[in-house]
Amino acid sequence: MDNNKILEMKALHFSYTEGDEILKGLDFVIDERSTAIIGQNGAGKTTFVKLLKGLLRPTSGSIHFEGNDIANMTVAQLAKHIGMVFQNPNDQIFKNRVIDEVMFGPLKIGMAESVAKQKADEALELVGLKDLAEKNPYDLGLSSRKLVAIASIIAMDTKVIIFDEPTIAQDYHGKELIKSVIRKLRFEGKTVITIIHDMDFVADTFERAIVFAKGNILLDGTTRDVFAKEDILKEAYLEQPNVTKLCQSLGYDEVFLTTEEFITYQKAKAK
Amino acid sequence: MKSISLYEEKGSILNKLAPESKILYIILALVLPAIVGSKMVSVVFIAISIGLLLFSKVLKKTIPILGVSGFVLLTVVIIQGLFRAGNVTPLLTLGPVIFYKEGLLFAFNIVVNVLNILLSFCVLILATKPSDMIENFVRKGFSPRFGYVFISVFQIIPQMTETMATITDAQRSRGMETEGNLLVRIKAFLPLISPVVMSSLINTKERALALEVRGFNAKNKKTFLNDEKKSSADKYIQITMILLLIAGIVWRVVGCLK
Amino acid sequence: MSKIVVENLKYKYPATDFLALDGISFSAKAGEFIGIIGKNGSGKSTLCQAIAGLVPNFYKGSYGGKVMVDDIEVKNVDISDLCEKVGTVFQNPFNQVTGSKLTVYEEISFGLENLGIPKEEMIQRIDEAMELLDITKYKDRNPFDLSGGQMQRMAIASIIAMQPEVIVLDEPTSQLDPQGREEVYQAVQKLSKKGITIFMVEHNMEKIASYSDRVLIIDDGKQIAYDTPQKIFSRDDLDEYGIEAPAFTKICRELGKKNPVTGCYPVTLEEANDLLKKDKGEM
Repeated sequence: MDNNKILEMKALHFSYTEGDEILKGLDFVIDERSTAIIGQNGAGKTTFVKLLKGLLRPTSGSIHFEGNDIANMTVAQLAKHIGMVFQNPNDQIFKNRVIDEVMFGPLKIGMAESVAKQKADEALELVGLKDLAEKNPYDLGLSSRKLVAIASIIAMDTKVIIFDEPTIAQDYHGKELIKSVIRKLRFEGKTVITIIHDMDFVADTFERAIVFAKGNILLDGTTRDVFAKEDILKEAYLEQPNVTKLCQSLGYDEVFLTTEEFITYQKAKAK
Repeated sequence: MKSISLYEEKGSILNKLAPESKILYIILALVLPAIVGSKMVSVVFIAISIGLLLFSKVLKKTIPILGVSGFVLLTVVIIQGLFRAGNVTPLLTLGPVIFYKEGLLFAFNIVVNVLNILLSFCVLILATKPSDMIENFVRKGFSPRFGYVFISVFQIIPQMTETMATITDAQRSRGMETEGNLLVRIKAFLPLISPVVMSSLINTKERALALEVRGFNAKNKKTFLNDEKKSSADKYIQITMILLLIAGIVWRVVGCLK
Repeated sequence: MSKIVVENLKYKYPATDFLALDGISFSAKAGEFIGIIGKNGSGKSTLCQAIAGLVPNFYKGSYGGKVMVDDIEVKNVDISDLCEKVGTVFQNPFNQVTGSKLTVYEEISFGLENLGIPKEEMIQRIDEAMELLDITKYKDRNPFDLSGGQMQRMAIASIIAMQPEVIVLDEPTSQLDPQGREEVYQAVQKLSKKGITIFMVEHNMEKIASYSDRVLIIDDGKQIAYDTPQKIFSRDDLDEYGIEAPAFTKICRELGKKNPVTGCYPVTLEEANDLLKKDKGEM
């Protein structure tokens, strides 16, 4: 396991109005593992990632990126290190060509035109939109537009990439594609953090899961350990992945995360 | 939720009155001084408006409104008092600066008119729920579609402000500066405004569909969940005001005939 | 007796050169829960809007075949008349808030006011709808202050209060958390038990499998299949249509466990559990 401290949260508190704390003192480290942040709406997930991006500033406590307190960095400076794909692609797209949209971020953080072009091409290739580079983003469907938004952040080549609900309105093919994108990013040494409601997707894709509830961390561990704790998940109004539920109702002690895992196990046993 | 409406429910008498009574009040306050031809009538209405607003506990809310126009009015007084063509009678001398009677009188007229307009409108706006007002109009045959547009603006504009904030966050996250000198702000304009326009267009289409399936274009007569906003006093108040108006006209006509 | 009959429905949006719907034919009975599945862009939303009359009456475009609700041909009535029979709930809860009402209670009255329902009946219907969707506690809240799940339940309540006999829901839970999603499904199931015909578009196949009586697959505007969830998810060609079977079905398929009675693979947790439990004992 990697134990690099990519991001370190120290006694992190946040509130919009006094007396109504959204985050109630978070202390944890994000390492290179792909990490899913799960929890009910209103648990503080979005607030937390906005703090990581510097869009909000802590009321007390601090966040350190590779050892440096981000309080000393502007949003624009942080953008070189931490990228974030917003939930709704319509909140960012403004160029008339897909390629220009994807190159906007890289150019803004000071990449040379030729490098930006190359990164943009690679990012579009990764999300499978290479052939649509010259199209107008608004001629594409919502799910393709989401991929444009994803590519436009990947092209910025940041160390950390945050996704906010990447699977909303995606069909099976779209979800598989996003899964493979996350895995490739992880393989390239990026730290991927995702806010997400789709537990099957988490079980299949992420190494670590953190459960937020009412501004605190309720559970934090490998995806397998977290999804083993049915009772605590219920307390946070979450459910286990479908395969995990099935195996638990069948009375297995082991925790299975994916259909493949369970099938392989069963087939091995049958032999 | 933030609302751009200035209305606040205080349970006051003004709150309970029908919007029509308050609209009639505005008409009376503006028309009667003109008919009678005396500035004193305007001054009386200013006093009445202040009294009503004070009694409804919303006088404080007029301060920002008066503050903005007060600055303009002050310049009017100074400029007219000092430089108006036809200024002959010095009234007040402050060192080398001389204020003239003619200019000050002219400025006084303007100030009285503006205050009267502002305060009488405040009587309506600060004490009337916008949706009550529109619903009463729709009841009287006003187009429901137009009414919808008017009321929804009060809620949808704050929503758009929120969308704008999200878009600003999204673009800043891509390394765009949004704060700083004029050039920076001009550069940031397109990346901020285009998504706002596009998402508004998309939202508008979706909202149009959602309204459509809720019978927005139904041709039958509409009914209303809320009862018509009126009190037993409304009838008498409206009659009194109309009588006052008529009395003013008669007084003027008789005056002319003499 | 069929509640809804769709016959050879074809439709092309204005200014496009392909058929968004191409020969759709099926029928559904009162109280049936019909799941509609397929890739993004396959025509699911268009079909929903065709059932509600928005296609062709809102969009115009070229239209062939027909959609009948009881003895009414959808194309020939105004949307504002049809909405008393067919209600529609859209994906984005936010854009379904009218923006002209200050409380949840008033928001639900919007459609009823338009239909000219008398006040006493309006109040009774609003109370019932709020009760059914479990949002009575939010009645005095501003509609925009609700969470996504609460807002979507308010949108459904607004439609329910209009007492339609058919309700079309186009991915109503895609923006909700697991709890919000479950709440919406529970509410919709109650409606179906009351005899309301439900059409539900959804990407979550486990939900479709456990709630639907029948499932319709659309691909590229064409109807691929219309059958029970068991039959649908036991097909060998789901991949071609961009559909993933429920996790339970995939497991049983790989292990070769069919339900001996139906000859199909299980589609729900309970079914799979029953089938695999016997096995576990033997193994």
